[in-house]
Amino acid sequence: MAAIYKRDLRAYFTSPLGYVFIAAFLIVMNSVFFVTNLLTGRNSIASVYTVTLYILIVIVPVLTMRTFSEDYKQKTDQLLLTAPVKASGIVLGKFFAAYTVYFIALLFTIIYVIIVSAVGDVNMASIIGNYIALLGVATVYISIGIFISSLTENQLVACIATLGIFIALFILDYAYGLVNVGWIKTVLYWLSIFRRYNTFFLGVFSVADFFYYISISAVFVFLTVRVLEKKRWS
Amino acid sequence: MPLTRHSDIFRVVPFTRHMGSIYCRPINVRREHVFPSKQHHPISAAGPPPLLHADNPHCRTAMLQEGNKRMIEVSSLTKTYGKKRGIDRLTFTVNDGEIVGFLGPNGAGKSTTMNIITGYLSANSGAARIAGIDVLEDPVAAKRKIGYLPEQPPLYLDMTVEEYLNFIFDIKAGKEFSRRAHLGEICEMVGLKDHYKRLIRNLSKGYKQRVGLAQALVGNPDVLILDEPTVGLDPKQIIEIRNVIKSLGKDRTIILSTHILQEVSAICERVLVINNGQIVADDKPDNLSAMITGDRKLIVRVAGPKDSVRHVLRSVDGIQFADATVQAEKGAYDFLVEAKPNIDIRKPMFMALAKAGYPILQLKSMDLSLEDIFIKLTEDSKKPRLSPKSAVRPAAKDVSADKPEQTQEDFPALNVNLSSGEFDAEDKEDNE
Repeated sequence: MAAIYKRDLRAYFTSPLGYVFIAAFLIVMNSVFFVTNLLTGRNSIASVYTVTLYILIVIVPVLTMRTFSEDYKQKTDQLLLTAPVKASGIVLGKFFAAYTVYFIALLFTIIYVIIVSAVGDVNMASIIGNYIALLGVATVYISIGIFISSLTENQLVACIATLGIFIALFILDYAYGLVNVGWIKTVLYWLSIFRRYNTFFLGVFSVADFFYYISISAVFVFLTVRVLEKKRWS
Repeated sequence: MPLTRHSDIFRVVPFTRHMGSIYCRPINVRREHVFPSKQHHPISAAGPPPLLHADNPHCRTAMLQEGNKRMIEVSSLTKTYGKKRGIDRLTFTVNDGEIVGFLGPNGAGKSTTMNIITGYLSANSGAARIAGIDVLEDPVAAKRKIGYLPEQPPLYLDMTVEEYLNFIFDIKAGKEFSRRAHLGEICEMVGLKDHYKRLIRNLSKGYKQRVGLAQALVGNPDVLILDEPTVGLDPKQIIEIRNVIKSLGKDRTIILSTHILQEVSAICERVLVINNGQIVADDKPDNLSAMITGDRKLIVRVAGPKDSVRHVLRSVDGIQFADATVQAEKGAYDFLVEAKPNIDIRKPMFMALAKAGYPILQLKSMDLSLEDIFIKLTEDSKKPRLSPKSAVRPAAKDVSADKPEQTQEDFPALNVNLSSGEFDAEDKEDNE
């Protein structure tokens, strides 16, 4: 697993992909920070973090589209699957590599905390809670993206399909606000990664919601492992 | 039982690779017929015939004593792609240290078989074992023993050779290897030293192939599986890669697939001809051609007067036919000599001519080339099949014992001259 993690992480930064991801992420985040905090002089950074949820919809598909698709195309999956490594090791190695790129991007946003705390008070507890939530929610995005990538050898298809799924999730979130029938609302709440973030936005650290993210991504990692194993039987 | 298919009728397995001779037996002739219990065996005068068969304790100990254990065992492997059969009840074993060539046209099932052995694909039924480890039961342990070069080398184009091989080292090699020394040795072997720092994307096809081969060697696996290792290379590179493979084969078990016939005769000690997902022949490259021609025809160039030489030749016991063809050199004629079945006439013919004072200038066998064999075998296997079950039995064989008449009719070529194998073996030693 470690070897695959190392290779994939390296691949993100020998191609433009890793840089583009981080740059795109930071351009949007910095603009939002500039508008909501620097221009207006507010000291609450929580709304900036909420924006992350929406940026990820667009940029995570780009990050994960090549995870398996490229291996399929170059036939390097044959190397990985005939090497003495378990399928779960392959998936987790690739997952953590993509996750590390996101983590690096997220690290840059700590600068907002430094800037705001230099000129005013910040609610440290809320910020830490938000960061943990951002780390949690990204596991869902990335695991879905990797799962889609494991289904096709075409990177573009992987990218667009992942984007489509994220947008669908986003629409579900909208639907939650519109529907008034009790049970439908419950179902939509189960499916809505965005709605779950509300508690963090309000400054409440919800352990249940954090584990919701982790378990959803565990399901997709598991499904990806199954896809790899199923390839043998095709 | 009606016999209709040649792959059913004969299957030849080299008994040991050290012994030149082979035992062959029609596959659907039961062993009891071939070796009636405690009966004197026609070939080995001393003791019972040591069959290469798992249920024969003599055989197993004999194999272990020679260090000739089974490295790859494939039993009745079947793989279907939708309705199409990729491979069909494929059964063979490869002993430790053998270089086996997989020969077959495109789409015969070579790559499928290799992918199953390496654990990339799974068979619908049957089993593959590497050094006794089932590929499905303990995939990680089995894969540790295999170095695999797929048809298209699995290269990360955005890495340098150095980075790539280090990555392979990380996922494959055990802790007992020293990284620098091990990778250095491999690069030396496959000739990558000068390209170690280059980006794989920028390498030529031949060098990419070498990187693929290097990749398979990392971790020093006991078994190498090479899928068309020389495809797409220029002639010089082909020879280089072949030599590399040959030198690798000294202490490893190698299966390589190819549809180039010369390649097998150049590298391999044993050939498995595969067509439509089934093994149609399994033998040494030399024996294979002897088997097909059946009657052994030789062309002998002898210096001496035409008529008296012919007279001497015809007087040799075992020669069925002898006649001069052309005057090849001044005072020397080419004679076409045909031996009676199952007799090697080369020694007596030499002695007779020497005694008469007519030196042999050239002796050439009229065996078919591998191309001919291949065409013949694959055409034969297109005949309709009626008794598919018999194909799955792994076996050691003998044809020299009694066999059903049909076999004779269907495949006269089975009358292999068994003693000729010994000659081959001796010849080889001399050459080396």
